[in-house]
Amino acid sequence: MDVSAFRMRRARWCAVVSVLVVPFIVPNSYYLHLINLIGIQTLVVIGLNILSGYTGQISMGQAGYFAVGTYTSSLLMMRLGLSFWVSSIAAAIASVACGIVIAIPALRLSGPYLVMATVGFGEIIRLVLVNWVPVTRGAAGLTGIPAPSLVSIPIVSERGFYYLILATVSAGVFIAVRLSRSKIGRTFAAIREDELAAESMGVPVDIYKVAAFAISAAYAGVAGAIYGSFAGVASPDNFTFDDSVAFLCMSVVGGNRSVWGALVGTVALTFFSEALRFLQSYRLILYGVILLSTAIFMPQGLSGLGPLAGAWLSRCAHSRGGRGRLWRGGEKRGA
Amino acid sequence: MQYLINGLPIGAIYALVALGYSLIYASAGVLNWSQGDMVMLGAYIGYSLHRIAGWNFILSLLCSMISVAVVGAAVKRTVLSTLRARSAPPINVVIGTLGVAIICRNIALGVWGPDAQPFPSPVGSSPIQIGNLRIVGQDTLIVLTGIGLMLLLQYFLKFTREGKALRAVAQDRMAAALMGIDPELSDTLAFATSAAMGAAAGILIAPLFFVTFNMGAGIGLKGFVAAVVGGLGNIPGAIAGGFFLGIIESVAGGRISSGYRDAISFAVLIVVLWLRPSGLFSRTVEDKV
Repeated sequence: MDVSAFRMRRARWCAVVSVLVVPFIVPNSYYLHLINLIGIQTLVVIGLNILSGYTGQISMGQAGYFAVGTYTSSLLMMRLGLSFWVSSIAAAIASVACGIVIAIPALRLSGPYLVMATVGFGEIIRLVLVNWVPVTRGAAGLTGIPAPSLVSIPIVSERGFYYLILATVSAGVFIAVRLSRSKIGRTFAAIREDELAAESMGVPVDIYKVAAFAISAAYAGVAGAIYGSFAGVASPDNFTFDDSVAFLCMSVVGGNRSVWGALVGTVALTFFSEALRFLQSYRLILYGVILLSTAIFMPQGLSGLGPLAGAWLSRCAHSRGGRGRLWRGGEKRGA
Repeated sequence: MQYLINGLPIGAIYALVALGYSLIYASAGVLNWSQGDMVMLGAYIGYSLHRIAGWNFILSLLCSMISVAVVGAAVKRTVLSTLRARSAPPINVVIGTLGVAIICRNIALGVWGPDAQPFPSPVGSSPIQIGNLRIVGQDTLIVLTGIGLMLLLQYFLKFTREGKALRAVAQDRMAAALMGIDPELSDTLAFATSAAMGAAAGILIAPLFFVTFNMGAGIGLKGFVAAVVGGLGNIPGAIAGGFFLGIIESVAGGRISSGYRDAISFAVLIVVLWLRPSGLFSRTVEDKV
């Protein structure tokens, strides 16, 4: 083991420890609440990145899967008294089912036509939630969604949720990273780059596309299940077209070709819009300017700056005689 | 039959907005997500001129169309040209124009305030009874003005030099450029014309709903849907798609359920796309290697 590998390992342990102690060092529960929301949104955006970044299928209906996840798990807990864990698995299954249903017309569509189909899906889900009053309580929404409990200890505090969300996001990141390096991930990329070429090489394109929709729906469904219990309330207003668009913005601003991009985009947009609150009504103008300038100046998204910054930092480090690779992902994600 | 008649005015509005999407897609090959907010700007400028400054309706309509056309051209010149110069992927154009939309919306919020503004119809609101059909003056105005503008656009595209240039660019950008046509100019023209169409839609629909800073989101989305169903880039398709959507909404809302109206129309449209993946009214071309 040479020095740099040792440093890498040390940096990793530092990162793990600092992530674990976050709930004890943030100044107040508002920030922890924000961090938890970011975690939940990150899960949705990772799913979206697998669909749109890896496989090249743009979706503007991600809030629909998110809603299916929230309502399925909440209603199972409230009406049938099932546990959170069973309900969230059911939520994932329900979302995956929706993903497969929308994938069937989507197989034949691309570009703007696909955008329209996914927008339509998201809106249909929202309108069903508004109008199916006997089950969903309509526009009033659900209140008093039960909290999850771990071996009869209920998770209710922001701190408790932090660890639940941290564990889920870690698992989500792990799965997505493994997936992107596997045969499936490479096939997704092949479909994105040239669908016809992939098909002529014998790739069953349809099956992989359906799988991409199903995986992204599963992420959103699990995120939705956690969101329901975390917020305690849910109404159709939480799952509008604007929310789908926000997920897409996070994905593109962060960089939709990488798992870390999902995290970077979600963190950046959430913190920007919170940090700019003092500007009041000018806040959203600035938000628009940020979207516009990211689209123009950072075609790979914010995470596309990572390798550049990493190269710059390591040049600086080399000039001082060190061997520091300060940015962790830089050397691992060559492709 | 009454539902069909009721669907026409809203269909004309959707058709005008859809034309904007299709024209830009035909020429520049991109989705302009700020189209809905051009509708909103048009409505507000028309409102200011007609209601506050007291100009007559036709003059306000024309002035509003011209000023919003300038905004549209500016969006092309600043945003799209920069994105092009950096060869950004299509999704970045969507996000960039979405940024423009958010900026427009919030500037309008700052200028005209958060309250919905009433915009009374210039032709009164008492319905005319013909047989057993009821026809409202404003609806007639919308349909007639809408159709007039569509004919004007057809004339522009078919018989003027600039219009022909635009169609040439839409058909084959490279060949058109080789023939001495400036494709960038024709993109700018497409953006300006689309914005003007949107502005007209905004003023025409203002008496039916109120003028609000976020009215663009809903109308813009519906217009996009209509353009897609008609086949993006296909001008007659966009018009047909607009009326198709308007009539489906009216029938679904009146006959089946008003709450599920939009859900039903979206479901119908998804099925339409499933059966005809590149829109109702365009010829399907198989991808070739």
